[in-house]
Amino acid sequence: MKAKSMQWAALHAAFMVLVFGAGELASRQGWINPTFFGRPSGVALFLWENLQTLKLWTDLMWTMTGVMASFVLGSVAAFAVGLAFVRWPRLEQFSEPYLNAINVMPRIALAPLFILWFGLGLGSKIAVGFSLTFFIVLSSTVAGIRSVSQDHMTLCKTLGTSAVATFFQVTLPGAVPVIFSGLRLGLTYALFGVIGAEIIASEKGLGQTLAYLSSIFDINGVMALLLILALLGVGIVRAMTLIEKRLLHWQ
Amino acid sequence: MISANNVQLSFDGHNDVLSDVTLHIADGEFVSLVGPSGCGKTTLLNLCAGLVPHTGKGTIEVAHGAPRVGNPQIAYMLARDSLFPWKTALENAEFGVRVRGASPAEARDRARAMLAEVGLGAFENALPKSLSHGMRQRTALARTFAMDAPVLLMDEPFGALDAQTKLQLEDLLLKLCDLHKHTVLFVTHDLSEAVAVSDRVVVMSSRPGRIVADVPVALPRPRSIRELQKDPSFHELYAQLWSHLESGWTRHEG
Repeated sequence: MKAKSMQWAALHAAFMVLVFGAGELASRQGWINPTFFGRPSGVALFLWENLQTLKLWTDLMWTMTGVMASFVLGSVAAFAVGLAFVRWPRLEQFSEPYLNAINVMPRIALAPLFILWFGLGLGSKIAVGFSLTFFIVLSSTVAGIRSVSQDHMTLCKTLGTSAVATFFQVTLPGAVPVIFSGLRLGLTYALFGVIGAEIIASEKGLGQTLAYLSSIFDINGVMALLLILALLGVGIVRAMTLIEKRLLHWQ
Repeated sequence: MISANNVQLSFDGHNDVLSDVTLHIADGEFVSLVGPSGCGKTTLLNLCAGLVPHTGKGTIEVAHGAPRVGNPQIAYMLARDSLFPWKTALENAEFGVRVRGASPAEARDRARAMLAEVGLGAFENALPKSLSHGMRQRTALARTFAMDAPVLLMDEPFGALDAQTKLQLEDLLLKLCDLHKHTVLFVTHDLSEAVAVSDRVVVMSSRPGRIVADVPVALPRPRSIRELQKDPSFHELYAQLWSHLESGWTRHEG
């Protein structure tokens, strides 16, 4: 097992060296234009210099705050509304066309409006992230609760289990797998929404810096930020997987 | 303990699911309901459990009252184990007792004792995913018997098991019923299972469900599945039930 994962790590390292080496070579030989594509060594240099300054870390914190706030607010609101929908199906039936209309609309199109309403600060970023996370978690909450085993419900009914006990001991744990897949997706979308809104207009944040660097043709900087965003995304998914494994160890 | 008088039931108002069903089960008696699929045997069981409301003619009484869900006098067992996959065997076994108001310590003690009785004493902390089908159904038996309700309603509890495991669990059920005297209504489509475990086997015909035979099983207890296989009267009863089942079926078809 250990040897196997070491082998994989070595293989990946070799592949990365190959890819970055090829990029470096292509750019030095003039096969690709570094003005548009940057250069691996330039990206490395940018990261080395900027990771020592406060600016990049501030941006990172700013973006992460936006992501976490929109994720938490969006998920909590979606969970509450999802419960209400399961409790009162007519409410869901009534709201469905409106929710569908909002859900199919590209939410990033709301960003300019949110920026007008909530300003250039975190508020508008959270609003966009929220609008994405909310719908994903909402549908998974409803689906998760509806997916609860009918046998379990019959059992609870015959036992005379109270509604509260049934909900907390049976319905909720049974719904966790489906809800969790919604949360995982919701978090990735929160990142998407926050970065998108930052690119459009923002005081700070990785998205804002990305837009700025691209406007001054600092392609190495852009590439470096894309790398950071990719790593951030991977980190988020990893963290979610870890939590899921603990929470769903019974699966 | 269970008494149904001239029970009639229809879901759509035209076609009877049950027609003129009269069945009396004495305290401590083990009665099996057999019949072709769709004959309404599960419906009759669910009527007794209060899961299906009795909207038709006749009367039903279970444990000295009208059937109702949540009655602590009744324990219901489903065909599938319906264990909670996030709870250990012990937590699953104590669930029913807990829900019905026993203190945590008492529930734990009873669940523990029952798990030991069904042969899973060493698996208290196992999650359902690591238990075999047979072990899971044993846990479900422990959950059911731990409640110590006077009336047990069982809906093909071994229907989803392979033949070998089924025989083992039938033996276990015989043992449990000898130890704890309950009144049992047991739905099955397996005639040899019905003969093996019951004091009486009631045969139903297909729609509308009606009782076509009520056969006492005078085999001595304690019984063992293996010994029963060698007993000629076991096979006679089996043949007798077959012919009742067939007659109910052909009468309906003709």
